[in-house]
Amino acid sequence: MINLAQKDIKHTFGKFIVTAMGVGMLLGIVLIMIGVYRGMIVDAKVLLDDLKADLWIVQEDTLGPFAESSRVHEDLKNSVHVIDGVKKSVGITFQNLQLISKTKPVRVVAVGFDPYDTINPINPARLVEGDMLRKDHYEIVVSDNIGFKLGEEIPIGRNIYKVVGVTHGTVSSGGDPLVYISLKDAQELQFSYSNNRIRSDRARGIKDSTTNMPMVNAIIATVRLGYDIDSVANNIRQTLHKSVYTKDEQKDILTKNLIERASKQIGLFTAILVVVSTIIIALIIYTMTLEKMKEISIMKLIGIPNSMIMKMIVQETLLLGFLAFIFGNLFSHLIYGRFPKRVVLEISDAWMLFIIIMVASILASLIGIKKVINADPAAAIGG
Amino acid sequence: MAKQAIKVENLVKHFGKGDSLVRVIEGANFQVDKGELVALIAPSGAGKTTLLMMIGCVEEPTSGKIYLGDELVYDNRWLTKEQRKIRREKIGFIFQAHYLIPFLNVIENVTLVPQTNGVPQKEAEAFAMELLDYFDIADKAHNMSSELSGGQNQRVAIARALANKPQIILADEPTAALDSERSVSVVKMLKKIAMDQDVAIIMVTHDEDMLPFCDRILKIENKKVVSHDVPKNKDVI
Ligand SMILES: Nc1ncnc2c1ncn2[C@@H]1O[C@H](COP(=O)(O)OP(=O)(O)O)[C@@H](O)[C@H]1O
Ligand SMILES: [Mg+2]
Repeated sequence: MINLAQKDIKHTFGKFIVTAMGVGMLLGIVLIMIGVYRGMIVDAKVLLDDLKADLWIVQEDTLGPFAESSRVHEDLKNSVHVIDGVKKSVGITFQNLQLISKTKPVRVVAVGFDPYDTINPINPARLVEGDMLRKDHYEIVVSDNIGFKLGEEIPIGRNIYKVVGVTHGTVSSGGDPLVYISLKDAQELQFSYSNNRIRSDRARGIKDSTTNMPMVNAIIATVRLGYDIDSVANNIRQTLHKSVYTKDEQKDILTKNLIERASKQIGLFTAILVVVSTIIIALIIYTMTLEKMKEISIMKLIGIPNSMIMKMIVQETLLLGFLAFIFGNLFSHLIYGRFPKRVVLEISDAWMLFIIIMVASILASLIGIKKVINADPAAAIGG
Repeated sequence: MAKQAIKVENLVKHFGKGDSLVRVIEGANFQVDKGELVALIAPSGAGKTTLLMMIGCVEEPTSGKIYLGDELVYDNRWLTKEQRKIRREKIGFIFQAHYLIPFLNVIENVTLVPQTNGVPQKEAEAFAMELLDYFDIADKAHNMSSELSGGQNQRVAIARALANKPQIILADEPTAALDSERSVSVVKMLKKIAMDQDVAIIMVTHDEDMLPFCDRILKIENKKVVSHDVPKNKDVI
């Protein structure tokens, strides 16, 4: 039996392929959009996972440094440490920095930690060059995507920092590149005042602000084996009156508070793109059918049953959808590496899009089918 | 009864309603026998195409009866839901333009209807090749219609009309687009087909030169169909 769809596509092959590629690019963008969202979720968790902390102790009534500003005294770590079940506890800071590179300023998030303390937030697996921080001052470990080389010197604030290590794949929860500096440096950058400010404070009669207790943004702690993380957290909450979050709760805060809006944004954008793709496929099928109205009328006139003609329309539509899907995947895989932030293409997302596109194609072919049913065989010879 | 291929009784066809009512056919009665090549002539707009389309189960009459062979297919209403099945099994259509399907090659165009009727592809193709050979275009079997000349395409179209071994061929001005030499050869071909295959052929024509090759002439006069003998003064070659 002659397959009409196959013959028709062969006849208009170039046009068909170009059309499929065009729709495919649209689908590729849909996949990239979903990938951007997945990337955000992955990024949000990279730092948390690298830190390997079980508990986050932050300023009372705040959600912690990823959601809002949080300050606690550094010596809180000692109070945490003596709580039953706590294995290690250290202070940690997070702050945005603008690094001056040769070409352009780069925005980074700096993690400050005490290189001599018990928890090292740098995941050794991510260190690709150089070393961990070794000194209390003026050393920096940078992420490899910001363009600084090992041994390079970077001016930050009033001092020059030397790049001692380079990491790969480290990003802040917002997807910005990470750098690591010592806690002392971080505290100086974040909490100490400039000489001007100190002079002006003194002139106003404010007591010497440089003698402030050292602050950090959060205390992170690990829990001893055999202890229930939640009950240790409760214990700290009750004795120290601080807000305490487990690692999972921190992840929830990140994904709920920070990612949710972004995901709605991207979700809506993706949904619109899918609808647009569907409409475009429908329009293409409609025009493809319109272009064939004469032939369809002739076929009806010489007695070809509707089912055969409809089969042609449906097969062409499904093939168009399928090819567009293939092109979309190729396209997205070709370009996703060029995006500055992480794009994660997941097979499950691709399958979902596949199902959506196939359903959309079937819906689109209904328009063509309606044209076939309504086509007047007598119109073939009219005019 | 065995000779009857088409029989029409009191056939009426109106288009539209009320003020815009167009009475095209008002009670046509005629019969065409197997093996007959009949010319259908009338001025433009008299209803020739409409009449063919009613016989071909494409256009629904307003009232009357239509027999195809011995089968009553229309009796004030279609007696079957599957007019298209009747078309593809019993009728071959030829038009002024070839109306070949542009995305099918010659042999696919010719075998489409028989294959739809369930004839195995090999068998359909073998018969199609016979027909194409008969029309001297077997070498074009795998070309697209766009690669053929007008005359070649028209011969493919005639081959297509014959491919389902129809009992009836309805030809609407099949020679109008051809030069007189080609026209004569097509009409002679139709006459031969009618005789050889015992097919009833109604051919609409405006060309009086074609009439001598026909067995009979049907004229639409005063919205009725009248049968005439072919004019004797022209020599049948
Ligand atoms: N679908 C239609 N609706 C209304 N009038 C029609 C339609 N088809 C044909 N007619 C009218 O019927 C008459 C016969 O048309 P037609 O059969 O095409 O004539 P012919 O083939 O003899 O030139 C014409 O007057 C034409 O305007
Ligand atoms: Mg006509």
